[in-house]
Amino acid sequence: MTQAQNAHVTGTASGNPANGPASDKDKALEVATPPSNKGEHSQPRAKHDSADDNVLIRGLRVAGRSFATVWSVPKARFGIILFSLIILIAIFAPVLSPYNPKQTGFETNAQPSLSHLLGTTASGQDVFSQLIWGGRISVMVAMIAGILSTALAVVIGLSWGYIKSFGGEFVGFIVNLFLVIPQLPLMIVIASYLQNGGMKVIILVIVFTGWAWGSRVLRSQTQSLRSRDFVTAAAFSGDSAARIIFHEIFPNMLSLIINNFFGAATSAALAEAGLEFLGLGDSTTISWGTMIYWAQNNGVILTGQWALLLAPGLMIALLAVSMTFINFGVDRLSNPRLREGSSR
Amino acid sequence: MSLLHIDHLSIEYDTPGTEPVKAVHDVNVDLEQGEFVGLVGESGSGKSTLGFAITALSRPPARVSEGKVIFDGVDISTLNQEELRKQRRGGFAMVLQSGMNALNPVRTIRNHFMDIFKAHEHVQKDRREARAKELIEKVGLPANTLNRYPGELSGGMRQRVSIALALSLDPKLMVFDEPTTALDVLVQHEVMNTIRELQKSEGFTAILISHDLGIVLESTQRVLVMHNGRIVEDASSREILEHPKDDYTKMLLSHYGDPRAEHVSVPGLRTRENANEAYKENAHAEDNRTALTVSHITKIYPAHKRGDGEVRAVDDVSFTLDPGQSLALVGASGSGKSTIAKMITAVENPTSGVITLGSKHIEKMHRGRDLRALRSDIQMVFQDPYAALNPLHNVEYILSRPILNYTKLKGSAARNRMLELLEFVGLTPVEQFAAKLPHQLSGGQRQRVVIARALASDPKVLIADEPVSMLDMTLRAGILALLDDLRVRLNVSMLYITHDLLSARLITDNIMVLNQGHVVERGETSKVLQHPHDDYTISLLDAIPKLQVGEQA
Repeated sequence: MTQAQNAHVTGTASGNPANGPASDKDKALEVATPPSNKGEHSQPRAKHDSADDNVLIRGLRVAGRSFATVWSVPKARFGIILFSLIILIAIFAPVLSPYNPKQTGFETNAQPSLSHLLGTTASGQDVFSQLIWGGRISVMVAMIAGILSTALAVVIGLSWGYIKSFGGEFVGFIVNLFLVIPQLPLMIVIASYLQNGGMKVIILVIVFTGWAWGSRVLRSQTQSLRSRDFVTAAAFSGDSAARIIFHEIFPNMLSLIINNFFGAATSAALAEAGLEFLGLGDSTTISWGTMIYWAQNNGVILTGQWALLLAPGLMIALLAVSMTFINFGVDRLSNPRLREGSSR
Repeated sequence: MSLLHIDHLSIEYDTPGTEPVKAVHDVNVDLEQGEFVGLVGESGSGKSTLGFAITALSRPPARVSEGKVIFDGVDISTLNQEELRKQRRGGFAMVLQSGMNALNPVRTIRNHFMDIFKAHEHVQKDRREARAKELIEKVGLPANTLNRYPGELSGGMRQRVSIALALSLDPKLMVFDEPTTALDVLVQHEVMNTIRELQKSEGFTAILISHDLGIVLESTQRVLVMHNGRIVEDASSREILEHPKDDYTKMLLSHYGDPRAEHVSVPGLRTRENANEAYKENAHAEDNRTALTVSHITKIYPAHKRGDGEVRAVDDVSFTLDPGQSLALVGASGSGKSTIAKMITAVENPTSGVITLGSKHIEKMHRGRDLRALRSDIQMVFQDPYAALNPLHNVEYILSRPILNYTKLKGSAARNRMLELLEFVGLTPVEQFAAKLPHQLSGGQRQRVVIARALASDPKVLIADEPVSMLDMTLRAGILALLDDLRVRLNVSMLYITHDLLSARLITDNIMVLNQGHVVERGETSKVLQHPHDDYTISLLDAIPKLQVGEQA
């Protein structure tokens, strides 16, 4: 009994119910598996040097294939294009904006015209330029707060899900506490305590109030993965809990984590706008949230300058929409069943 | 005119962006009314793909690339969804391996029947209740099963319900796709009996798809052997058993044996006598390894719900496993064999009793350094090679973890040890296998990696929990031979947990039969299996499909 006979079983394992649970699991885990590169892998490789290289190439291949999967979903394609557009506008703001956004001295409360596409504010600033510059803060806050709260959710969710002990109960209590406290009032209370701290405070407040849901979701997935044989096997191989969490479990839920990131970033963008609209941010910076704050303060509805409210509001909505749409594609990544088409 | 005519049928799996994979090649079969035909093949042979195509259940990416299936004079590819739905009454039906999980958990069994009657309106309203009762009794269940929810029934009962549901439309053709594979040995035997009796009394045409030639030969009159998408042999069951023509069929047949026989052998595996001679030659003169002793362990789980009694999973079990010895722990599922393994590996602690490995007490270990030391002495080979390897790590990473954790080897020494392990389990060329990811390996190769990982820490005891039950028949002998060989060469003692008495007979010296947590019989494997005393052991032996043609043929 050697390899020649072993070779029978490769082949059309998928779609063969006789494999039962095995093939199902294979499918579920396929998510982050690199593409089958049947031709390449058989080359013997040099002793040591290519080890890191290999990991890098494998990582890139996974990323490439994951992107292709997300891109294949029309909704996600729309989201990616929209999102890239917003990012590009934010990056090239100095080139794109016709005026300095803080420059005063134009005619005040002007209606939209060719020289001021969206009109001017009560203090005589060009609204269109503000709109272009304002994206920088909004996108940056969304990204940073999204990354930080996801990181916090990952660390707490994964260890909470993996370690069964009294510590777990305690973490559970804290998470549940954060889940039941209404987020907006909590944010308002904290932000008004730490007034005038600028963007950093806004980000911290959003992260502090927004991590709990993600950690709850990631914990559930961790609990389901921790009973898999390969996790038990790693424990038998003598790996520590931390190593098992980050080397065995974490890579297998990457798509769920990315999903969580876009969700967190979306709510961060909305929360940032909300806090600034309430005047809890730094009202001297220019962001979409502060634009609405000033527009409201100056009663633009009464002067008929609808664009001052609508334009930044629409941009915030588009940013949130783009990330939500990207998540449709990421969903497909984490649930391979969605990949096979609508037939099942 | 035959009932089913399969004409030059080929099926491809056509996933966008990849080369189409041909799963079924040019199959020609004719089935007469009332025939009971078996379709045998290993995983990946295309047997289920063919089964799905016959019942018009093929779904993308599977695609019929050539040929047609003519059922009762109609080419089924020409039927639209509505015509297909209508013909399911009096047409063809399918019972799946996971059919037991296809029941709606929030509806009673009666509702399942009523839904079908309503959809097809082939039973008068006032007759429906009686008809449901009649059907459920046909599959050997009491009539009050109709009032119950799927969650209240066992797996075997649910599979019977799904057979009864398939029968409710009076099909002319029933396709059974591995109907008993997911069930326990004893239950499997009973469900197969029911299927056989039903086929005889109802007279429908049946196709039994299975990987197990033994089950098929016992039930069917005619067998189709499938290999790599082609039908390699199509003959009566007796013909297949007595005069197999194709080499592949012969090879399949050679892997069966009766554990009760005086001498049992399977190609690729030495007989017990030879194995023990080899062991004696190899036995180390001064043996400083120590025995695993289990004495009077009991494990009681608290009641599931209030009102239920507590569960005695293991009840007063004692045994000793000497260095280099192999002991089989057999029993149906729920007999407590896996619980014993969990207690030996300190995953669970016994309610009472003592487990020692040399001077170490295992029964009270929880975490920390003791447990780590224990894990390097007691290693485990898992049942499912598809689940036991992280799909994201290559073989080198998987094997180097225990080496780095348990041995003092580092750097190139650790790497050499890793390659040595690969060579030991027969995965050569080693450099190539070290770089592979699990999905690039076949089931048998994966299981070899799992075994290599278990050996990395140079353990004293190896616990093999059904190590071959997920593998194809022809791969089993190779893995069993490897386990037996390393026991001899490395002087590891092995606890072999299984429900498969044939493999227990092939690689173990001693055996313990467990029933509901009790040891009902123990002794030398060959003696116990040749002359069983306990009723439970006898029923386990009876449940094994023997290589013989059933009375039908």
